Amino acid sequence: MVLLQILRKLKQKEKEVRILMLGLDNAGKTTIWKKFNGEDINTISPTLGFNIKSLDHNGFQLNIWDVGGQKSLRSYWRNYFESTDGLVWVVDSADKMRLEDCKSELHKLLQEERLSGATLLVFANKCDLPGALSAQEIKDALNLDEIKTHHWQIVWCSAMTGENLLDGIDWMITDIASRIFTLD
Amino acid sequence: MTSVVSKSKENFYRQSKSKGDVVVTEEQLLKKEYVSPDDVLRLNKVTENYLCKPEENIYEIDFTRFKIRDMKTNTVLFEIAKPTDLRDCQESEEDVDPNAGRFVRYQFTPQFLRLKIVGATVEFTVGKRPVESFRMIEKHYFRDRLLKTFDFEFGFCIPYSRNTCEHIYEFPPLPEDLVNEMITSPFETRSDSFYFVDNKLIMHNKADYAYNGGL
Repeated sequence: MVLLQILRKLKQKEKEVRILMLGLDNAGKTTIWKKFNGEDINTISPTLGFNIKSLDHNGFQLNIWDVGGQKSLRSYWRNYFESTDGLVWVVDSADKMRLEDCKSELHKLLQEERLSGATLLVFANKCDLPGALSAQEIKDALNLDEIKTHHWQIVWCSAMTGENLLDGIDWMITDIASRIFTLD
Repeated sequence: MTSVVSKSKENFYRQSKSKGDVVVTEEQLLKKEYVSPDDVLRLNKVTENYLCKPEENIYEIDFTRFKIRDMKTNTVLFEIAKPTDLRDCQESEEDVDPNAGRFVRYQFTPQFLRLKIVGATVEFTVGKRPVESFRMIEKHYFRDRLLKTFDFEFGFCIPYSRNTCEHIYEFPPLPEDLVNEMITSPFETRSDSFYFVDNKLIMHNKADYAYNGGL
């Protein structure tokens, strides 16, 4: 369990950390969420609600929430903002048609007061697909450089192969841990 | 709390370890109009009865899958899923036991108690009403000894949604003699799962466990 190793960083700094994964439908949120724990990713259907992984470790809890991204579900996202320490925004880097939609949904979230303290990790997923944009191109398309309100980072990844997933989460957990530590 | 203790000493007593928590009995809870999370957290043994009626689940919350896997080897040890058309079959039958589906019996091999990290998944669907604040509290006992409490706040559930939650946890280290007793005493390891909406108990499921499979 690689995730548990990363979790050790948080020991005794915070009792509970909450990570929220959002993004447009078909971005790969559930595949990433499953891949974290080495689960089978061959049978994934659209998420019509939420999926939670709750990891208990030494009296400390990490909760990762994956909430469905279909248009009809997005108005419910706000119900899951409370106490979020880290926001993972997942992008389908091959879905050029909806990048504008993707950008506006992300920037809407960043204005939410209840997400104001959250660290932002953008996963440029499916970068390995032919014709997909690079992480740099996604960064520009989503205007990430404009974000001054949140600690953020963009990481390219492949949910299918698992590449870079742990690097991304590791960065996020470290950032959350240092923020909590500074506040002490 | 203190005043309650002094008023009815025969029913309440102070637990030495917990901070000010007062033990409550099942009999007391059965008299209440509704049962709260605080109430069940203060129970110190498995209940004999269900603390709410099936019809109190007005949100049509339906558990559709249970799964347990060993995280170390990524092996599924147990999985049971409700066929999606089961509801139709049930409705056509007369004399359906209202408590059917509220109880699960698990039979494991002794090896199960040697596992280090386990992932337990539940999947549930929600009916047409949005659920504002959904919480589950699960308590596991061997005889009258509390082994583990899992308390999780799902919060809001989307109408007509299908949701999953996998709880990944390290097995509490159990003394060797306790493990042996659990193996030789099938179904004396039991659990209560309590589900609350807006702090009112709306579902209560039970399970028991044997670890002597293959012996």
